[in-house]
Formats: sequence, C-alpha cells, structure tokens
Amino acid sequence: MRLYVYCLAEGVDRLHEAVRGVSDAEVRIVEMEEDLSALVSVYRSDDFQVSRKNALAHHEVVRSITEQTTPLPTRFGTVVTIEQLRNYVSTHHQAIKAKLAHVRGGVEMNVRMIHSIAAADISQQPENAGGPGTAFLLEKRREILRDEAGAAQKGQLSAWLREKLGDLIKEEKISITPSETVILARADHLISRADVQEYRTKMAKAVEERPEIRFMVSGPWPPYSFANIELEFSSQFGVS
Amino acid sequence: MSDFDQIIVGEEWENTDLSLLETLDHVLNRGLVIAGEITIAVADIDLIFVGLNVMVSSVETANEVLRRRQATE
Repeated sequence: MRLYVYCLAEGVDRLHEAVRGVSDAEVRIVEMEEDLSALVSVYRSDDFQVSRKNALAHHEVVRSITEQTTPLPTRFGTVVTIEQLRNYVSTHHQAIKAKLAHVRGGVEMNVRMIHSIAAADISQQPENAGGPGTAFLLEKRREILRDEAGAAQKGQLSAWLREKLGDLIKEEKISITPSETVILARADHLISRADVQEYRTKMAKAVEERPEIRFMVSGPWPPYSFANIELEFSSQFGVS
Repeated sequence: MSDFDQIIVGEEWENTDLSLLETLDHVLNRGLVIAGEITIAVADIDLIFVGLNVMVSSVETANEVLRRRQATE
C-alpha cells in the first residue's frame, strides 16, 4: 500500500471532519514515533492527477491542522510506502524534532518585489566591439556583473527588511532573480503567529518608503519554505 | 480565499489568480522532500516543469497587473 503524505506534525489528535485529501480521498493520521504523526491518504494511481484541484486539496489538508499545531508540510506529490515513511522518520527523527521545535508557533510570510532596472551598469556595454571571442568575453563579464549585483542586492534587501521588521523575523530566506529589465526578489520570513498583524503593519509602512518597487506580501502560510531538512537530504542521497 | 492565501499589500495585488498562484507555488516548489516513488514525477508529468510554469504564469500575471495599473495612472 502506498501513501500520499501531506505533512508531519506533533500532537495531532483529530482532523477536521470536512477535510478531504487529493482525489477526494479520506485523510488519516498515522502515528509514527513519540507524538509525531503523518497526515496521509491511501494513494491510488488510477485516480490521481496533477491538477489544480489536487494541489489545493493538499494545501487545505495542511492548513486544517494549523490551529492545533505547526506542521512540516511535505511537497506536493510525495508518495511513499508505509515502510519508507517509517524509515525516513526513524533515520531523521532528531532533525525532524529539531525542525518542528524551530517552527513551533510560527507561520511563514512572503514578500515578492519587482524592481525595474534603470539601464543599469550591467547592460551598458558596446554591442559590436569585436569578433565572437570579444562578444563571448563581454557576455561572460555581464554574467559576472549580474551575479555580483544580485549578491549585493540580496545583502541590501536583507538589511533593509531587518531594519523595518526587526526582531519579528525568526528566520529569513532571500532569493533574487535578475533579468535584463527587472529584478525579481523574494523574501520568506518565519515569524511567530502572534506577530502577524505587527508584521503586516510594519510591511505596509515599509512599502510606502519604496515607491520605486512593486511589492506583494502574502501570508500567513504554514512553513512550507522552512520545512525541508536539506542537509540531511543531501548527505543521505548525495544531492543538493 | 482562505486565511492562508491573503495578499495583503496593495489593492492591485488583490487578485484571485495571484492568490491561487501563490498557493500553488508553495505546494509545488516548497515543503519537506521525502524520498519516495513520485516525489518529482507524478503520472508522467514532471512536477518541476509544472512548478516552472506556475512561476512563469505568476510573473506574467504580475507584469500584466502592473501594465494595467500604469495605463490607468
């Protein structure tokens, strides 16, 4: 029997009656070790589809227990045997407990930012300044400058957000995606559930200070961006 | 949308499609990865590809919202 896994969590003793899983499947609590449980459905490949409906069902199952506890959501499409699940939990027990302790009482907030590049330094290069070799080197130089600019922007953005949000941030992840015309940045913040309103207020104020940047703030979410046990995964499977 | 799907800054972002895309982005691209049979590919469809499509759609939707906003300014 294979199981579709929605999340791992501590202290889950009941499910919302109305909650249904992917493909409208029943959701079950599988007790793992100590008070650690997994929310799962029995997986049937013949009626499972990658669809918007199933992706949203996955999210609704995770969300349904957030009043009881803070779960570690699994990525959509995680299907394992019960043996694989028990083996995973057993071999990663300490890391899972540590991760659950880290996110306990927390929620994720996300800030997306779009910033137009004003004919920046990185693109001001002569277009026909030589042969193919020169063009190649110029392109490599642009790439390096773009990377350097991205790293610098990441640092500046992090410093600015920390100045505005202060100690509300328990953990932060920032990613920058530069392109020729815009910089797309994303900041993921783990904050205390009790601080959501203060976070919103501070972000709303911060947004007013930067009219040149388009902002989108969303949340609170279950801590999707802070759930992965990356080092454990890398060391066990040899990937990063 | 649910409490977990709110887009809270700027009325131009209060868009159902964006809320949906945000939800899909979280579910498809984030979360705990457990080694399993179909963590990456479900029903022969590469989830990374699905995720990329969601991101591209998200950027396009965002840019469209901005274009509309700038047109009315």
